[in-house]
Amino acid sequence: MLVNLPGPWSPLLGRLALSEIPYTNPILAPLFVIIVLAGIALVVGITYYGKWGYLWKEWFTTVDHKKLGIMYIILGLIMLFRGFIDGLMMRTQQMLAVGSGHNGMPLMGAIHGYLAPFHFGQIYSAHGLIMILLAATPLLVGIMNIIVPLQIGARDMAYPYLNALGLWITAAAVFLIMISLFVGDFSHNGWFGYAPIFELAYSPGVGVDYWIWTLELVALGTTLGSINFLATVVKMRAPGVTWTRLPVFTWTAVSANIIALTSFPCLQVALALVGADRYLGTHFFTAGFGGNLMLYTNLFWLWGHPEVYFVILPAFGMISEVIPTFSEKPIFGYITMVLASFAIAGVSWIVWLHHFFTMGMGPYVSTEFSVATMLVGIPTGVKVFNWTFTMYRGRLTFSSAMIWSIGALFLLLIGGLTGMMLSIPAINYMVHNSVFVVAHFHMMLLCIVYAVFSAIIFWFPKVFGFKLNEAWGKIMFWLFSAGTFLVFFPMFMLGFMGETRRLDWPFNLQWAPWFDIQEVGIAVYVLSVLAFLWLIYVSIRDRAENRVGADAWGTSRSLEWITDSPVPFYNFAMVPHVNHRDEAAWRREHGFSDKRPEKFAAIHMPNNTPVAIVIGALTFVIGFGLTWRIWWLTVAALVLTVLVMIYRSGKGDPGYIITAEEMEKMDRESRQKMDDGHAPLPKGGGYTGGTVTAYSAEVGDPGSQSTPPGNSRPLS
Amino acid sequence: MSHGHSNPLQHPEVQMASRSSYLAGFVIASLLMLAATILVSGQVLPPFALLLTIMGCAGLAAIAQIYFLLHIDISEHNIWNTVALVMFIPLFVITIGLTWWMFSQLYLRTMPMIPGMPGMH
Repeated sequence: MLVNLPGPWSPLLGRLALSEIPYTNPILAPLFVIIVLAGIALVVGITYYGKWGYLWKEWFTTVDHKKLGIMYIILGLIMLFRGFIDGLMMRTQQMLAVGSGHNGMPLMGAIHGYLAPFHFGQIYSAHGLIMILLAATPLLVGIMNIIVPLQIGARDMAYPYLNALGLWITAAAVFLIMISLFVGDFSHNGWFGYAPIFELAYSPGVGVDYWIWTLELVALGTTLGSINFLATVVKMRAPGVTWTRLPVFTWTAVSANIIALTSFPCLQVALALVGADRYLGTHFFTAGFGGNLMLYTNLFWLWGHPEVYFVILPAFGMISEVIPTFSEKPIFGYITMVLASFAIAGVSWIVWLHHFFTMGMGPYVSTEFSVATMLVGIPTGVKVFNWTFTMYRGRLTFSSAMIWSIGALFLLLIGGLTGMMLSIPAINYMVHNSVFVVAHFHMMLLCIVYAVFSAIIFWFPKVFGFKLNEAWGKIMFWLFSAGTFLVFFPMFMLGFMGETRRLDWPFNLQWAPWFDIQEVGIAVYVLSVLAFLWLIYVSIRDRAENRVGADAWGTSRSLEWITDSPVPFYNFAMVPHVNHRDEAAWRREHGFSDKRPEKFAAIHMPNNTPVAIVIGALTFVIGFGLTWRIWWLTVAALVLTVLVMIYRSGKGDPGYIITAEEMEKMDRESRQKMDDGHAPLPKGGGYTGGTVTAYSAEVGDPGSQSTPPGNSRPLS
Repeated sequence: MSHGHSNPLQHPEVQMASRSSYLAGFVIASLLMLAATILVSGQVLPPFALLLTIMGCAGLAAIAQIYFLLHIDISEHNIWNTVALVMFIPLFVITIGLTWWMFSQLYLRTMPMIPGMPGMH
């Protein structure tokens, strides 16, 4: 033991003891019972229906980018729900606790409200970490995983096995943070942690250790994923997909993953140093012994700000796909859209200090970072104007995907303008650490959530072959928007009134009405969650009526819409030759939509592998062992991980071949399963795109010389 | 699945790998770190010279690791390594440079040197 560990420790169990299980907690104990019962029911159900073999073969060992993407999205949605419950608990606590005097529930050991400060601290820490890294990031990575290979005409990601590894390591992080509910505590220092309170002397429990290893695992998973995305887009594009023909969503995925690849190592190093402080007794982040506590904040936000743009850029990409489809026009200003994405990615590296303007480094440094922060408004403004000009004079269809995207624009506007206010150091000094900041970044993150729901509704028919119910999608949108309005506008007000963030006891009685409004908003959010579940239910129930063809919306634009819905595991029977940036729209316009491959060739696909899920499970054991300081377990799991990696490297994956005859048969079956592909088109006609002149500029493009665009069909 | 070279042994990064270069990278980096540790623990140099020396050691160790372990150089046969190297320079200047500036300004304001007090270097 290099550090003086408070409390008992045994070689066999480390710090783990029966007393670490909070079975006396009136919230956690019943929850634990419910989860155990639900788990038993699930296992019994799967065994009863004999689905273990199916799950193992089709899902747990898969390397198919679409299935991995679906699992990422399921993981993200579950964690979104968990994070939402944390939010609900915080709102309720503040509503109950507001005002002076003892208004707490003695049963819970709380003087104010129903949560003790220590418990409240864990909830807001878990809420932030979960929402950003275990809900938003998996949702975005999942959608990128499904869509990017389809948009560039690839059969899979460049490294299918690495893709599976990234998913299972992320899943290990999710399990680690979930188990912290029932075994030990979680960190109570906020999602980004503060030096020196996370040092062992001030946080002697295992909460901070859970926090460190959860973050390390998710950072590892995301870094692996980003390498894979970049290699895929660089190396796996179908013939004809030049860089200028990449759809905007793929471009944003490229820019986002460059950020992820370059910034996530900063987080890993910063947390490794925190780990060194807590496990080895170093003093990187203590004020004494030559350490510097602001160095931690600096290293964390050096990753933290690029991470913010890592999550917003794919969301911008999704909006850029949805709006042109439902405006029946190509995206306005494609080149500026791409440049703006890279400008945002580049600026993301020089703005991180605005998270701690109040550090005290004086006016010169503050000015630089303030100006750099304001610069972000320029490319973002370019994007907003491009989306508006795409809609301008378009034939708008207000489908549920479209209204989610438009909703995202409104939130982006509010979040962006308050962000401009916060970028001014003088204002920042006034509202620093107030809930005004919290309301601001929730506007931005909800902009991402809106874009994600828009993308899920938009691409759902591509992946599953049937549309989600339009009416319930819209009902959910309005409930969700009402909830957002009711929760976060009072939060802006409270911020102006000086409420600091993370307040377990808001003492000022005059704030009470605002907390009540926020609680009503949370209730409306609950309704929107129910609407979402109902949306999924009715959509699956009525799936036969909502089957779609390859082009699910009739006005779709990019390459993924020319393959079958649902997408077969090989993506494209023959690798398509791409003639235009908006390939699906181009083919529709030139009458190629129904064209099937005339001949088939043998294709090479990767094999499934259980190695990824095994390594994922082992990384969970490493994280758990490190958290509880069970050294033998950690070392054993680490050695096993290395051995499994060596085993896999020695074996490699030769893959397997599907012959041309089999391909032809599968292609025919896939086609028969699909709707006839002539689903009723949206009202207004003109689905070929009203602005045919947008294509003529492409004539000079060397790639399109072989198949020059002919005369466009006249508008009907 | 892969385009281009189907045989991974043909890839330039595999061709460039050799036991002696990995060993050289490891030994050089270890020696430099050991030298820095001895210098610091023995307090052989005045503080500022010590700071510069260990920074020099760290720089040399980084170059040795980049060259011997990661095989990133400026030759033409591995263009993506060169791209990675070029990407690295602005990021290095931004992250280290701005951090340095920020903390020097912070120390200027929050850690005034009082004569006779053991200072931070």
